[in-house]
Amino acid sequence: MNRLLAIAGRELRSMFVTPDAYVLIGVYMLFAGFIFFASLGIFLVQLQQIQALGMMQLLDQWNLQDIVIGQSFSTFALFMCFLVPLLSMRGFAAERANGSIELLLTSPASSSEIVLGKFLAIAALLLVVGLLTGSFVALLFLYGDPELLQTLAGLQTLFLYSLALAAMCCFISALTRSQIVAGFVGIAAALLLLILPVAADSSQSDSLKEVLRWLGSSSHFDPGLKGEIRSEDLAYFGIVIAVFLSLARAAVDSLRWR
Amino acid sequence: MIEAQGLTKRYGGLTAIADVSFKIAKGEVVGFLGPNGAGKTTTMRILTGYLPPSSGSASVGGFDLAKDGRSAKRVTGYLPESPPLYPEMLVREYLAYVAALHDVLRRQRPEKVARALAACGLEKMEGRVVRTLSKGFRQRVGLAQAIVHDPAVMILDEPTAGLDPIQISEIRELIRRLAAEEGRTVILSTHILAEVEAICQRVLLIAYGRLRLDERLDDLRQQGSLEQVFLREVQAAADVQGKAAVQVEAEL
Repeated sequence: MNRLLAIAGRELRSMFVTPDAYVLIGVYMLFAGFIFFASLGIFLVQLQQIQALGMMQLLDQWNLQDIVIGQSFSTFALFMCFLVPLLSMRGFAAERANGSIELLLTSPASSSEIVLGKFLAIAALLLVVGLLTGSFVALLFLYGDPELLQTLAGLQTLFLYSLALAAMCCFISALTRSQIVAGFVGIAAALLLLILPVAADSSQSDSLKEVLRWLGSSSHFDPGLKGEIRSEDLAYFGIVIAVFLSLARAAVDSLRWR
Repeated sequence: MIEAQGLTKRYGGLTAIADVSFKIAKGEVVGFLGPNGAGKTTTMRILTGYLPPSSGSASVGGFDLAKDGRSAKRVTGYLPESPPLYPEMLVREYLAYVAALHDVLRRQRPEKVARALAACGLEKMEGRVVRTLSKGFRQRVGLAQAIVHDPAVMILDEPTAGLDPIQISEIRELIRRLAAEEGRTVILSTHILAEVEAICQRVLLIAYGRLRLDERLDDLRQQGSLEQVFLREVQAAADVQGKAAVQVEAEL
């Protein structure tokens, strides 16, 4: 446990003494903020138009929750496909490139401790990202009355989804020495998971359709982002994290055999 | 303290080392000599638990690497060919991290780090970022990380490679001192003969993956200069290899 925390602590510290994390999170916040306040602006304009036209029956469906928060969260999930691979591409790739992996593998730390240490560091960083994202949603509560529980469910889903991506990228970065390769393959894999449900719709066979839809990440975060927590989605994220962390451990183990 | 029994390592079709056996007693300082590509690094990586041998067994500090690798790793300090540094860390931070990885308790870490810094002449560098250090100082930090957890065994892979003559003599002096203190067992690889003569009491010579020689330096000196012995043994190993290659061709 001490070794695990030492690895996680070193990882986190090195993220914050280099500009990487600041730049990436800063750019994410810039885009996320823009999307959020732009969709809020559009919502307000549309609301005025509806009121001006007197279409009061539309107002019931036209709520802040679905239009502003739900839509923004979906866009944030897309941002995660870029942010998480870029944040976690250093992971093992950098250690292998600069030779420090030899220090880890000749220390008493086990492969599980090494993998979990790295994952924990990224998880902590993603928690910060989640809290920052939550901070501007919190602004809405000052001016309107969105659904608190639905909003929290959305944030939780966003966080779980980013953890699942982090586990996947952890594994990918253990396969290569090149951070660039780790980053790009990570982004590609994240986007692929995202569009699998679209591929499912065009598939002929029903069983394949089911499988693709289950594998796809968007079919599991969409309900959550809208505020509906389903146990099958929680299970999906849990399984993805567990599978990729085990794969990462196997990849680290295999480094010992070369 | 270190024991190797019939170590063999194959990478695919290539045999890096074959049937290497030796024993090193506590407090011995042993030079691991051989031309480049002879199998020195492979042997050291097996002893540090980085690589598992294809066959054979090894133990360090009385702990079998296959059965109790974690205990063996805890008593081993290892300096790989290029020091495993994190460029963005402070020297002090880095050493504390390595100590934590090797199970040094939190409250003992500051003291152990201070001792390693002092032993390697790094007191003034403790607050420097590793990236900004010169090559000689990086090598010192590499040595400091190998001793920060007070290991009984030090395994050093070409500790003076790429340094200038002054740095080389400083690092050699440092290794001699670290070995003498607390009777550490040291095994260091090199292809520089003078280095062995300057630091070691005993020589293991490896060529083409086979152990050719295991003798005390004093005894070796009576057979002529170290250089003559070295060239003779490497040539003999090459002859064996050449013959073996011819035999294999004949069989095919």
